[in-house]
Amino acid sequence: MNPLSAAKPFAGKSVAYPRRAPLAAFALIYTIVSGGPFLWVAMMSLRTTPEIFASPYALPSSIHWEKFVDAWTKSNYGTYFWNSTIVVVTAVALLTIIGAMVAHCLARYRFRGNRVVRFIVLSGLILPPQLMILSLFQILLEYRLYNTLTGLIIVYVAGHLAITVYILEGFFAQIPQDLFDAARLDGYSDLEIFWRITLPIGVPALFTTVTLNFIILWNEFLYAVVLLTEDDKRTLPLGIMHFMGNHQLDVGMVATGLMIAIGPVILLYAFFSETMIKGMTAGAVR
Amino acid sequence: MTERAPCGRAAKRFPPGGLDARRASRATLIILLAPALLLYAAFMLYPVLRTFWNSVHTIKPNNVPAFVGLDNFRELLGHDWVFWKAVGNTAIFAIVATIADVLGGLLLALALFSGAPFVRFLRVVWFTPVLMSYVVVGIIWVWIYDYDWGLANVILRAIGLGSLEQSWLGDPHTALWSVMATHIWKWLGFNMIIFLAALYALPADVLGAAELDNCGWFAKLIHIIIPMLRPTILNLTVLSFVGKMMIFDLVWIMTGGGPLWSTETVSTYVYKRAFDWNTFDLGYPSAIAVLWFLIILAFIFGLTQIMRQRDRLEF
Repeated sequence: MNPLSAAKPFAGKSVAYPRRAPLAAFALIYTIVSGGPFLWVAMMSLRTTPEIFASPYALPSSIHWEKFVDAWTKSNYGTYFWNSTIVVVTAVALLTIIGAMVAHCLARYRFRGNRVVRFIVLSGLILPPQLMILSLFQILLEYRLYNTLTGLIIVYVAGHLAITVYILEGFFAQIPQDLFDAARLDGYSDLEIFWRITLPIGVPALFTTVTLNFIILWNEFLYAVVLLTEDDKRTLPLGIMHFMGNHQLDVGMVATGLMIAIGPVILLYAFFSETMIKGMTAGAVR
Repeated sequence: MTERAPCGRAAKRFPPGGLDARRASRATLIILLAPALLLYAAFMLYPVLRTFWNSVHTIKPNNVPAFVGLDNFRELLGHDWVFWKAVGNTAIFAIVATIADVLGGLLLALALFSGAPFVRFLRVVWFTPVLMSYVVVGIIWVWIYDYDWGLANVILRAIGLGSLEQSWLGDPHTALWSVMATHIWKWLGFNMIIFLAALYALPADVLGAAELDNCGWFAKLIHIIIPMLRPTILNLTVLSFVGKMMIFDLVWIMTGGGPLWSTETVSTYVYKRAFDWNTFDLGYPSAIAVLWFLIILAFIFGLTQIMRQRDRLEF
């Protein structure tokens, strides 16, 4: 070894090493803090309530898969799950297509009223749900959409259009104009241009908004709790709250319900973690 | 048909037949914009206007709404101590949790940026709580705060600090802070990702130069990294602050505003006045929502204005 570097132990790269250990320790601790609670729930979801109360933090001694069947059939989680799926899939599909249509117009065309349309749509970015929820309750009652999944879907689409358009327009505006000029010369109609150029090229941005809207709507609580009250209409977050309210002490079953709610999210996250991180943070950096 | 000047010019540049790809026929525009604008009119703008209208009326079920002028606002500002309690709680929540979120997120990002092992894996795990619903997070943390078997008290007893054990959500002195800790835990990963992206975007030559100048790690952080991250910090502060001014879900799930209004926020109070109290009046809670929205709007404009001025002064 070079005697010079041995004589100066704090020179050069060696300075990095004393820091490594605390850094790794910190990383380990925060990993347990952020991920641990979910592992704990996953373990509890496979244990019965008496087992949990005997020792809350033990590993499952025997694995009770049948709890998931129970939750799905006896505790109505199957209904909640399908309600959530119907609402979220429909709303996300509508948001994507309607949002892309608006974003395409705003990013591509010069037309009278362009600024007005942009202002109206993007004003949704600063309108909090709290401002609309009480009158939406009245309006949906009047339109007979209260306590229907259709009503909730419409409210979700209206409420999330702003962020969808905002993200998509930013991306669509970067598609080179030459492509559109060439398509027009080739005789494409306006709608063909939207369908065959903007949408295929915009797929990465569409992925981003689909992820963002899927996660937010899958987890949505405020609109759902005000606009749905019948048990067979409830979405998963409401269903779990309802079950928790009635069976406070049945910790094992509540944990199984929680796993049913976070299962799809965890599964998607395992495969598409980068897309999902990008999607969730897309609207934040302006 | 009278020709407008821009149309005339476009027609000269391109052969007849509308080849300008920057223009679309009126029919196309209507097809593409109508669904969104109709939805917006019916389910965003109309509800907003109706809330404003509601706020100056008393609206009981099966009754004709009665115009009361600014009475709701007078009652609210002058006599409603629960409202002021809620404002106080929301303000504490918004200020403390915003500071903790931004500093904590920065700390996590720096830990990954300065060479913790398994960076890709860690950022994925640390981000997980952001993806989970408030219901899931809220219920898990209600269990963690449980007096008998919750992890918080179990750890305290295990390390010999059993005297500090609390009924975390049941005691008015600790409830707000406990909910806040859960909220911070959920959102730290979000701020971390934004900071991490900003850190990786920093010019490498500046950081390298600082290292050549024998600038210590802490000095580098204070004098170089934080000033260069300022736009990100301000951005996240506004975003996080405005979000917390409207906090509802987590509070509703974990404590329902209790015990003794110690976690009541403006949004939970609006919900209670509208649907839980047997006053059955939608006018009064609408007035709260309108007032609070105007305050949030003032904050957004104020904060963005301050940011712009600072930027102008510095450059």
